[in-house]
Order: sequence, then C-alpha cells, then structure tokens
Amino acid sequence: MRMIGVDVGGTFTDAVIYDRESGQLQWSKASTTPAQPADGVLAAIDGGDAGLADVVRFVHGTTIGTNAFLERKGTPVWMVTTEGFGDTLEIARTNRTVLYDITTLKAPPLVDRRKVFEVKERLYADGSVAQALDTRRIATIAERLKQKEPAALAVCFLHSYAQPRHEAEAVDMLRAALPGWFISASADVLPEMREYERFNTTALNCYIGPVTAGYLEALAGKLGARGYQASVFIMISSGGIVTAERASRYPVQTVLSGPAGGVAAAQHFGGLLGLENLITYDMGGTSTDVCLIRDLRAPVTTDQYIEEYPVRTPQIDIHTVGAGGGSIAWVDSGDILKVGPKSAGANPGPASYGRGGKEPTVTDANLLLGRLSDDLKLAQSFALQRPPAEAAIERVTERFPDLDPLEAAEGVIKIAIARMVSAIKEISVSRGYDPRDFVLVAYGGAGPLHAALIAQEFDMTHVLVPPSPGNFSAFGALISDVRHEHVRTHVADLSETETATLETRFAEIETRAVADMEAEGIARQNITTSRSTGMRYVGQSWDLIVPLPRKPGSIGELGQWFHGQHQRRFGYQMDGGIEIVSLRVSATGEVEKPQMPRWSEDGDPEDAFKGRRLVKFEGKMHEAAVYDRDLLPKDAQVRGAAIIEEMGSVTVVPPHWTAEVGAYGELHLRSTS
Amino acid sequence: MTITVDPITLEVVCEGLISIVREMRASIIRASYSPAIYELDDFSCAMFNARAEMVAQSEDHPGHVIPMPWSVRCAMEDFEGDINPGDIIVLNDSYRGGTHLNDVTLLFPVFEDGELVLFPAVRSHWADVGGMTPGSYSGLATSIFQEGLRIPPIKLYEAGQPNKAVMALIETNMRLPEHRIGDLKAMVGACRIAEQRLRAMFGKYGLGTVVECVRLNLDRCEARMRERIAELPDGTYEHEDYLEYYDDGHFDPVLMRLALTVAGDEVTADFAGSNPQVPGVVNSSLAVAGAGVFVALKATLDPGGTVNQGVFRPIHLKAPEASIVDVKPDAPAGAHGEVRKRAVSVMLGCLAQIVPEKVSGDLSGTSFPNSMGGYDRKRNRNFVFLEAPAGGNGGFAGNDGSSAFMNVDFGNIRSIHTAEQLENEMPVLVERSALRADSGGAGKTRGGLGLDRKIRLLDGEAVYSVQSDRAVIPPFGVLGGMHADPVRVAVSEGGQEEALKVPGKATGRNLRAGQAVVMQSAGGGGYGDPLARDPERVASDVAVGYVSADAAKTEYGVVLDRFGEVDEMATRTVRGVRKKSITQLPVADDETPSYSGIRGRQRRLRLPPVTVRELGLDDGDLIEMIGIHAVPLRAWVKVDRDAPAGVAPLDNFARRVLGLKAGDQVTLRLLPTLLRPGQKT
Repeated sequence: MRMIGVDVGGTFTDAVIYDRESGQLQWSKASTTPAQPADGVLAAIDGGDAGLADVVRFVHGTTIGTNAFLERKGTPVWMVTTEGFGDTLEIARTNRTVLYDITTLKAPPLVDRRKVFEVKERLYADGSVAQALDTRRIATIAERLKQKEPAALAVCFLHSYAQPRHEAEAVDMLRAALPGWFISASADVLPEMREYERFNTTALNCYIGPVTAGYLEALAGKLGARGYQASVFIMISSGGIVTAERASRYPVQTVLSGPAGGVAAAQHFGGLLGLENLITYDMGGTSTDVCLIRDLRAPVTTDQYIEEYPVRTPQIDIHTVGAGGGSIAWVDSGDILKVGPKSAGANPGPASYGRGGKEPTVTDANLLLGRLSDDLKLAQSFALQRPPAEAAIERVTERFPDLDPLEAAEGVIKIAIARMVSAIKEISVSRGYDPRDFVLVAYGGAGPLHAALIAQEFDMTHVLVPPSPGNFSAFGALISDVRHEHVRTHVADLSETETATLETRFAEIETRAVADMEAEGIARQNITTSRSTGMRYVGQSWDLIVPLPRKPGSIGELGQWFHGQHQRRFGYQMDGGIEIVSLRVSATGEVEKPQMPRWSEDGDPEDAFKGRRLVKFEGKMHEAAVYDRDLLPKDAQVRGAAIIEEMGSVTVVPPHWTAEVGAYGELHLRSTS
Repeated sequence: MTITVDPITLEVVCEGLISIVREMRASIIRASYSPAIYELDDFSCAMFNARAEMVAQSEDHPGHVIPMPWSVRCAMEDFEGDINPGDIIVLNDSYRGGTHLNDVTLLFPVFEDGELVLFPAVRSHWADVGGMTPGSYSGLATSIFQEGLRIPPIKLYEAGQPNKAVMALIETNMRLPEHRIGDLKAMVGACRIAEQRLRAMFGKYGLGTVVECVRLNLDRCEARMRERIAELPDGTYEHEDYLEYYDDGHFDPVLMRLALTVAGDEVTADFAGSNPQVPGVVNSSLAVAGAGVFVALKATLDPGGTVNQGVFRPIHLKAPEASIVDVKPDAPAGAHGEVRKRAVSVMLGCLAQIVPEKVSGDLSGTSFPNSMGGYDRKRNRNFVFLEAPAGGNGGFAGNDGSSAFMNVDFGNIRSIHTAEQLENEMPVLVERSALRADSGGAGKTRGGLGLDRKIRLLDGEAVYSVQSDRAVIPPFGVLGGMHADPVRVAVSEGGQEEALKVPGKATGRNLRAGQAVVMQSAGGGGYGDPLARDPERVASDVAVGYVSADAAKTEYGVVLDRFGEVDEMATRTVRGVRKKSITQLPVADDETPSYSGIRGRQRRLRLPPVTVRELGLDDGDLIEMIGIHAVPLRAWVKVDRDAPAGVAPLDNFARRVLGLKAGDQVTLRLLPTLLRPGQKT
C-alpha cells in the first residue's frame, strides 16, 4: 500500500513515494513534459510503467497554471459583463504602485478590450433586480463566439456575490451554446464584494483554466488506466488539498499550489527538528518562491497579487519572482545584464541540456563556474553538456567584450541572487523581521546551489537543506490534509444577533462542509471543522477575520473576543457597535501521513568523497571537494569550498561555510566567518 | 564615542524604519472609518527625528509626506521645551505646512532615555472636517472658514491623558462625529504600534546605532540627489501656467510662474511673479507647491531613489508672500492638489527645456475631488461620498501615457471606489465606469485617457460639491504633442445632461433622487507630433476604441478604410496638407505689460484686427505658442488696434520660455475656448 506525492515544476517533475509496509520514502524525478505534462508525472513514478492499484492516495502539486500565467501562455479570455462596466479590468483601481516615475505604465488588463461584451442586466446591492438579464443579447453573444476558436469566457456581473442568478442563467446559456469553452461565473469563483478584484480573479481563473483542467483530466485518465482508483488530489494555494475535479473548476486556487506544498513540508520538517522560525527558499527551473514561517505558522492571506493583478482566494503568503535555474540571461537595450523572467523551461531547457537551447541560463552559468558538473545526471535521463553552455554564454560576452566567459557566468549568478535577495527582503525586513533570526530552508532543484550565497547577503548563519530538496514540495503534498473553505456573506449587527441563530447558521454551513468532504471520499471521523467570522465596528469597511472557539459562547463573549483581537491587531478598541460580515467554516479532512525515516549512521565520509574540481567564487578559483550526498552518514562534516551532489540537486558549500549531516539526512550549512 | 555601523546593520535599520511605517499603514487601512482612508488609501505615515526631519516613509502619498516636515517643524516650534512623554499633537492648519483641512496630522513623540529621538506621524484624509458642505470640499469657497475646522498644533493627549475638550471640539464641528473619533483612534493606534516597534529596535541595536544609521542614511540620500542635480547644465529655466479662478462669477485665471535655477548640485525654485492670493480655491502653501517641485524633479532625475529629508536638502524654494503658492490667512487653502499639480506642470515646462527626453506631456492636472453627502433613509445615517477619478498621464518618449492612472505626484491611492462597495454603503447606483474615448492628447505617443463615471442618487436628497481645475484650460502636450480634453462635470436627469455652470466647480449643489452626476476626468497631454505617429498604432487605437475614426483623421491625419485598415494614400495626402497649414508669425520684441485680469493675471497676445481676421481668431480665444523649446506657452488673444500687424509681440519672458528672438517664427495653435477672460458664467 503506497501513497504518492508529485510536484510538477516548470522544468522537472518530482515524486515522493511512501511505502507504508517498509516505512521507506522513495524520491524520484523526471523532466517536465510541457506538451503532455501527465507523461512526466508517470515517468517520475517508477519510470512510468508500474501498476498503481495499491496506491491509496495520489497527491499532486502543480505550477502549470502559474507558469501559464507568468509566461503569458494561457488561453485568451472573453468577458461578458454588466453594461457600463466593460472597462472594469482596464480601469482597475487607478492606483500607481511605483511612485515618482512618469514612465511607469499601468498593467494591461487580462482581457483585451475587444473581447469584452456588455449586457443589459443589473442588480442592486441587496441582490434584488434593477434590470432583468437581456437573454437575447446573451444568445447573440453566444452566436458570435461560436464563430471563434474555443477559448475561455468570464461571466462577471455586479453584485453576483449577493445573488448569483443572472450570472448562473447566462452561464447556462453560454455553456449550452459553446461546448469546448472554459466558462466561469464570478460569484462561483469568489463570492465576495468588490467587482474589480472579483472580476480579475475570475479572468485569471479563465486564463489558466483550460490549461489546468485539460491537464488534470489527462492525468486522471492515465492514472486510472494504471489501476489507481481513488480521487486525484491537488495541492491548493491555501495549503490544503482538494480533488482534481474541484481544482479544474477553480484553477485559480492552485496558482501557488506547488509552493504551498514546499511550505507545508518546511513546517512539518521544522517541527521535527525543533526549528520554528524559517524562511523558505524554493528555487525551481522557472521561478523562485519565498515564505516567512514564524513559530511554525505560515501566514495565509486573501490580499494577494500575482504581478500587479489581485487574486482574492485564500493563499499562503508566498512571494514569487520569475527567476529560476532555467531563467535566461539577456542584455537589454541599455547594456544592462538581466536574468529572467523568460525561462528556457523544460524544452529546450538550458543550453547545457543539449536539446537545442541557445540562450544562456542560470544553470549554464553554474556549470561554467564548476558548481554544477557535466558528469552528474540532473534527472534520471541525461547529463549536462559543457560546449553548448560555452556557446550560449558568448551571447553575453559578445555584448561585453571586457568580460571573460567565467566573469560573465558569475555576473549572471549575482544578478539572479540579487533578485532572490530582494524577494526575501520583501517578506522579512519589509515586514519588520530580521532575517538573521531565521533559518534559510533551501529546496527546489536550484535552491541549495545558491542558498549559502544568499544567506551571506543577509548575514544569516544557518541554512537547512532537507533530504531530496528537489522533491520537497512533492513531500509537502503527501503530508497535507484535505481542506475546503466555505464563506457566507452574513451582514448583521452583533447586538441584534441571537446566539442560537448564529449557531444554526454555522451548523448549516458545517453540515454542508462535512457532506462536501464526505462526497470526496473522506471518512466522517477524519473530518474536523473550524469557525471564524469576519467582524468589524459599524462604519468600518474592512473586516477582521476572527477565529472562534469550537462552540461559541454568548454573543457578549463574541463581542469581547472581537474587541480583544482588534486591540491586539490595531492597537485600540471602540465603544461602538459591532457588525458580523461573514461566517467562515474551514473543513479539514485528515489524511494518513508518512513517517520521516532516520538517516543512516553507518559509513565513512571518505567513501562519499568523489574528488576535487575547480570552482569559482568571488572571482577566485578554489579546489573544491566533491561529495556524494547519499553516502555521507549522519554527523559527517564537510568544509567549504565543497560541492555535495545528489540526484536532482547540488548543494554548494562556499568558502567559510561548513555542512553537517543531521538525523534525517538534512544538511546544516553554517557560516564560520 | 563614535559608533561605526556595518553595511548590513545600516540596511536592516533603515529598511526596518520603513517597515514600521508600512505596518502603520496596514493598521490604518483596516481600522479607519473614512472611506477615503480605507478604500482609497488617502493617508500617509512617516517617521521623524527630533530636528523635524523626515527620516523614513514608504509607499506614502507624495502630496502628504513631502509637506509634512513643515507641519512637524511648526508644531515643534510652538511646543519648544514643552513636549513630554505621553503627549500627542494634532493639527491640520493649511497655513502651517498643512495641505487641505481634511488632512489631519498626528504627531506621536516617543521618548527613549528621557530624550525625544525618533517618532511616528500620520496624515489622514478625513471624510469631513466641517465647513460649508458635506465632505468639506467647496470649489467655490471664498475664505478658509468655509472649508472646515482649522486646528493649529494642539495637544490631543497630555502626559498620557486625553484632552477631552479637544475631542469635544472636534466632535462638535464635524459631520459624522463618531467616525471622526474612530479615524483619530485609528491614527493613535497605528502610532502606538510604531512606538512598540521603535522601542524593540532601540533595544536590539542600541539607540546610538539607530541614530547613526538615520544620520548616514539621510546623508547618503542627499549625496545621491546632489549627484543627479549636478548632471544638469547650470542655468535658469522658466515657465508659466494657470489655475482656474472665478472672481464673483467671472472667469479670471490666476498665474503661476516659476524660475528654476540649477547651480552646481543645488536647485532653487522661485515662484516670483506668481499671482497674489485670491478669495477662491486656488491657493496653497509653499510646502505644497514645493512638493510639486520635488516630485517633478525626482521623477525626472531619480525615480528609484529613497525619499527622506536628505533628498530635500539641495532644493530651495522661494515665493512671494500671500500669493497663490504661499497662502496667508484668511484666503481659502483647499486647493493643495491643484497647486501641487500646477507646480508639477510648470516644472515639466522648465525641465522640458533641459531634458526633453525625460519629461512627459502634461498630466491630467487636477485632483478632481467629488463629494456628495446626504441622509440615507434606508440605513438611518448620514453618508458622505468622496472620489477623485484619476485622469490620463502624459505620453513620453518610450510609450503612450497610461489611462485612468494616478499621476506621478499622487501616492499609491485608489481614486475610485468599486461600485459594489459604494452601493452597499449609500443610496447610489453607479451607472457607468468607462474610459473616456478621445480624451488623451494626440502625439507621436498619445496621452492616456480620462475616466467617465456616472453615479445616480437613488433616494432622498443630497448635496454635491466638486473642486477641480483643468476644466477650461486643458493639459498641454510637449514637443508638438496636442493638448488633452479638460475635465467635464455634468448633472444628468432623464437622459438630459447639463454641464455645471462653473466648469468643474460646485459647492453644495442640490441633487434629487433620480439625478446623476457625470464625472469626466481630463486626459494626459501628447508627446511629439501626432502626424509622426505610426499609422498602424492609430488604427489599433481606433479598433480598441481609445480613439475615434474622426479623431484619427483630424488629429493624426490617418485615414482608415471601412475595414479599419490604414488607407496609406489618403493618409499621406491628409498629413501632407496638415503639415503645410501650420499658422506661424514672426516674433517682435514688445515690453508692453503682457498680463491683465481682475484679480487674476493672464497673458495676452496683442494682435490688430487685421491679423486676428487673417488668422481666423477672435478676441479672448485661448491659444498656445510654440517655439524651439518643447513646451507651449498659453495666452489669450487680445484685439488691440495699436498692435503691430503680422507679428507676434512677445515680452522677454515669453521669448525665453519659447527660446525665440525677434524675427524668429512662432507657431500658433488655437485651443478650445470654453470661457473667455472676464466672461460671466
């Protein structure tokens, strides 16, 4: 009986397989196959041909939707909206995020103005009808769209969170007329007030919808053909998992799904090691994600943006930058060397993959500097090649004749690191945290390559590299519980609310939440729910989400509870009335989790020694010792400059750093200067 | 003892101070009562030192934070030797570093080891501060007493004890008093959080180290600004522009004039020659005009640099006392947004002469606050609506200006509410929220479009006020780019639209249920000759709907066929004709006084009847004159029998602005003339 966690990144697909009988975790890796990503998933599991009938849970983290957005390779989105509001996405909120610069441009809308249809229909704020839906116009729109290539369509009407009927009616008509189209209604994606944020979240859902849904369908089919019988579970951005069917309807909830797995794994692993304050640094082929974990808690937010676009579904507060191992180095018109956000992806991949990539990437630069080697297989299938990397870096040295290829390569790495450093500043220093109080947890295939260099920038002295860092996010998927968030808008004066009424409303939502989860195959005894309410003082606009004890006491106690939370969060409380704005229920379906196996204490570090090679740091060549990580026993110590290699990742121990192997095989890098 | 600071500590402390400001911001957004604060982010926080120097700020509104040190200095002078632990000072005095009265400022002194070292301050836009209209925006006020309650620096808390008399006075003189107290508490609460964070920082790094970091940071920021200024050629550069004042109902624009002198690594902005203050909402303080100077300078020289007192040090300001840029009691002072933006305009005019590749066409040029207040019978409470629909940005060398996008002198402020939020809180229906086609100035790169919002009152009655500028005199283009559409405001009922009698200004106009306000913000000015714009880009603008097919032809000389494709032959012909039909006159030296007006001062171009006829102009027409410099100079035609025929008589100032001498050709362009100087509305 096995459980499988798989994480599809932009470049590699990583798998973790847990065998309950033997208690062993098995890690594997394959190239991501962008045309048919499900093939990469199967390849990562046992090379792709084993039967899956004994698998009880298959959990999946995927950045397919995110990458489709970041690389602007999603599906064109059309929009149907309330008359007078066709420009909502383009107008946005009119704010400028970059001050003092007249050349700053507003981010372009996710839907081209030529793809927006306005429709006569209107609701008042209470959901009552001001103007009936013009269904003839919907029919006309359907006719026009029938002439077009099937794409995605967002149906976004005002006040649909209060009354979704108009949207639902339009969606029914459009779905019937437009088979093959991906169609979302805004109130279904995000039943919350504020049209710009809801419409934008919906447009994004549509933009990445067909890519995500098509992929999950293909995957489920292929897994089923191998004998897998349970639901396919998908990691979502808020840190839990949901069924593939649900994820296909709300792909926007998976926008940070891959990174959420890594954060969940870091929390789990930090707990095992007694390290509670962590900054996670997950660098894959295409992008890098960082998150600050304090007291083992990862912050969840609904106030998130991807680039400049709001996404208001709950998600772990992760900061993403478009720079990874596959990020392409290029020279802009102002003769400034830049790295990313364009990535070579999995195909052709970095030049050194030897698959026809011509542009220099971060991976190529690491190879030239000796930090990666051409005799190491990065995935099961292939090794890096030096000549194409050398040819690619010439694209940089041609523009900067004063640089030799190694200098150019080190420059590429430095620029990539500067981008990581500013991402980490954003979640630490900018929010009042001193990074020196945190341990840097490095994973993703490219994380351990750069982690110590980044830590140096902050004077951080401790870097943690978990076992099989390339598969860490996949491991996070395996240890995450099923989670559904339910929100009901419920505006009421607290003083006029009966305790019993509130209890009844919560019980209704909970009944629904439990039923939803049972329908997804979770046994009743494994389901727990927790309650929270959005509350505010009468007259305030933003609500504070206040977690409630399991059974709420009296309304008076609820009021006291809110005053206390408000005081703690905002530094004051008011005498005025309190309003309830929303009732929220979070349902968790607990799943069985693998045990982390202990690392071997036997063996001799000498056996792990593979030799020495020249590696460049800060302009100087160093004779670095090279080790095979799998053969380093617990408590083994390695002094920098050193390179520790394993399948799927390489840890760089720079000069003035040491590495020590911990109880679970994790590496502790510590600064000695 | 000298303290040495390592570079990492320096970064961590300086970023740490900024992150305290960010945390204050987050706290205020979530806890405030004024929609302008919680929905629009119309507030700013900053950290000061004991010398009233601003040492840290974040994504804060330049229009707030840059004048703020003036207020802090005034407060610290007033209370010299009498600032004690537990004191909190409040003020909003527009004459003393304040902006408009709605912006209430709180100073929260923090003492460490018995010494005032660093402390937080907040400036927030309150939805109402009393005065003649709900929302306290009175576009037609004639004295400051109509604009609201004026608060000099006073202690809100004394030694930790709230001053109940102050609270009572505030509550008594403002609408929705319970919300004002909530706003005040949100400000105090944010400062308390900042105090805790500051104390933690002192504890961790030591007071001395923090102070040294602040000093080093101010100095390095100053040095960086000086380097950038030093790159500019020394010299004095001049420009002038107008604000729309009405004297007893007569259109009477007031003059803002600027001489920008670059000398080594310092600049002096001298507003000499600007209009004396007038009893209308077109005056503000030098702190505010100076904010415009700073924003334009920084946007041109160093957009990415940190903003703190260090960067202000090399910039000097001068202005005539009791003028529109240095207002004194009791003139209205609510036009802080307009005065700041016009200061940006005249700065763009000066900078365009030095670094034309770095400036843009004029910005939409007004903050355009619209307010509506009344009683909401359904919710049994008063309501106050406020929004300031963003306009277009000027085109610039690299791109078209963005549409409906806050201008560079604004912070990260949302200028409009979501319709859903508004309709949930007050008896209004947003009927339209769209981009305003054709409103951007034509150019090689186009100015951005303004907004077109229509909001209907559903129930009861309300009073509506709006205060704007650039509703008659449009934003200008540069390097041959065209002007943008000005602001337009109308009241609509039953399909009929009636523009406001005084363009863009109203005070307490009654609205009945069923009537709607139409708010159209200005576009941004164009950059470069529209006839040089790639015809394919014009065709694309037409396809998307930013530009009409008519405007494509009249403004850009681009003719499209019935499929929307460029008709190349017709386009070449039209563009050829347009290039030849440019009106030019030779310049003549003339030192006859160039300005006239009632209280205002407007430049007149004196022409004899014969020349006026030949050029197809009329007395009082608004024109712009273009010379070899990038910006046009505006004037109104004055028919004068004594003027020499066939020449443009220009005074020395005008010739300097245009870069022309006697005998050179000056190009004349007629602008839409909604009102002529002196005309009664």
